[in-house]
Amino acid sequence: MNRFAAATLALATTFLYLPIVVLAVFSFNDSDLMAFPLTGFSLRWYEELAGNAAFHSGFVTSFLVAQPVGLIGMVAGLMAALALTSPKLKFRLAFAALILVPFLVPKSVLSIAQAMIMSRIHLERGAVALILAQSLVVIPFTTALISAVLIRVDPRLDEAARDLGATPWQSFRLVLLPQLNSALAGAYSIGVILSLADLTISMFLAGRTQPLSLMVASEFRHDLRPDLNAMQVTVLALTAVIVALSELYRRHRARPQRLADRAATAEPIEAAP
Amino acid sequence: MIGRPLFSGFALGRTHLAIPVALVLVLGCIVPLGVLVVFSVFEVDFDAFVLMPALSPRAWSDLFHTWSFWVLIGKAVISGAAAALTTSILGYPIALALASAPLNWKGIGTVVLLTPLYTGEIVRIYAWRIVLGSEGLINTLLLDLHIVASPVKWLLFTPFTTALVLTYNNLPYMVLAIWVSAEMVDKRLIEAARDLGARPLDAFFKVTLPLTTPGLAAGVFAVFALAAGEMLTPSLLGGTSGQTAMAMIDNLFGTAFDWPLASALALALLAALFLTAVALGFCLTRFKGARAVIGRGRA
Repeated sequence: MNRFAAATLALATTFLYLPIVVLAVFSFNDSDLMAFPLTGFSLRWYEELAGNAAFHSGFVTSFLVAQPVGLIGMVAGLMAALALTSPKLKFRLAFAALILVPFLVPKSVLSIAQAMIMSRIHLERGAVALILAQSLVVIPFTTALISAVLIRVDPRLDEAARDLGATPWQSFRLVLLPQLNSALAGAYSIGVILSLADLTISMFLAGRTQPLSLMVASEFRHDLRPDLNAMQVTVLALTAVIVALSELYRRHRARPQRLADRAATAEPIEAAP
Repeated sequence: MIGRPLFSGFALGRTHLAIPVALVLVLGCIVPLGVLVVFSVFEVDFDAFVLMPALSPRAWSDLFHTWSFWVLIGKAVISGAAAALTTSILGYPIALALASAPLNWKGIGTVVLLTPLYTGEIVRIYAWRIVLGSEGLINTLLLDLHIVASPVKWLLFTPFTTALVLTYNNLPYMVLAIWVSAEMVDKRLIEAARDLGARPLDAFFKVTLPLTTPGLAAGVFAVFALAAGEMLTPSLLGGTSGQTAMAMIDNLFGTAFDWPLASALALALLAALFLTAVALGFCLTRFKGARAVIGRGRA
């Protein structure tokens, strides 16, 4: 990597993290106004946050909505990825296009259309609608993530297991699934994270459920407040913890796999009888 | 291969897993979009606030006769295309730098690139207001360095803000798409071009760009779709210029209770986006050499 590439990456990182760093700095700034110059270090916005019951319930709501979204997104993504990477799938292009629909159609159009149907057939909007709609939007991401790993799994392992007498289910559970652990964890966390970050779908489908993003949006339309900074930083920190944990898990899982890969490439001829 | 079971149940079962997923997607996405078509020809009783089944061309005729709707649709297309352009210009050097980085940097690169995506839409909007405001980071720096005498006003609540934040929001998607393509380019091809006397820019335009066109195309489609459909960033950061087709649809749906017109406008927007995406795809395949790459990818 030359100096030009290193400089590019440094600049890109600065651009991507500039707003986040500014947010974090102001969450520790001892002033009501979010303006320079800084006035001094203070934890009072975090103290105020800790005492704010509305934020607590919003946070719990967001958290409870995000878990099923992660789970449904992961399972649907696994199913879609298993089908997509199977060489026998018919209408592959149509199926792939269908999976991309929730990604390509603007979320707001999709949510408004869903809200229209629900109110037309007198279904109440709320947590269930929100969870289902968010899960739909997560499917393209989880499918891509799991497919990327699944496509590299050696199909001969399944064949070997089957030749040795495993039932299809046993082969799936004992041979394929262990290789997908880290991809599934990644898919789960991406679902949770996208759900936590979502505002658009919540605006149309949350009903009386009040996730954190919605609460922030309604407070924020009026004025900027430093305790919101503190809350954003808290949410970001929690998200970073989720990302770091799933990345650590992935690396932990990937290490033996990489060694096995290296061993396999080192002796290709001996490995094939 | 002795004792291989006659029926290859698992491979068969695997493809069948597509059915429930497809059903869910059809029910959750295609049906609602289809219902938009139905609602667009319904009538509304504005006294009783009820939607009545009908076969009325009213909404479509309103749509075609109100030029401000078409301005909004045009704006969506332009802001999507602009974001696709700016992210690809900024994204190429970043993606190529990542592709040339040592292996253990790439994992860090992925995390660094993806983490900003995990921040909520509202967090980003909020943060940019602090950066760009008249007492924000940029203006304070400019004032302290005596580059300007009074705060620069056009940083916030102007079309510039919208363009900047749309670029920021979508840059990671573009970088990822190009990066994946760039990883697959044989580095020796670029070295060969340089050895044969091509300047770095020539090597880029004649070798790297055509070979990474599939990634660029994927990035352009994704960014175009995401940026054109964005509602919150323009409305919260674009100031008076922040009116969008999406916000208008939201307004017609929520406040005005004109569901037929909201549906017609949403469909017109989708159609415009789809046609532009097709046109963009067509242009990208015209790149010199790109057709060969895309064609080979399909074979």
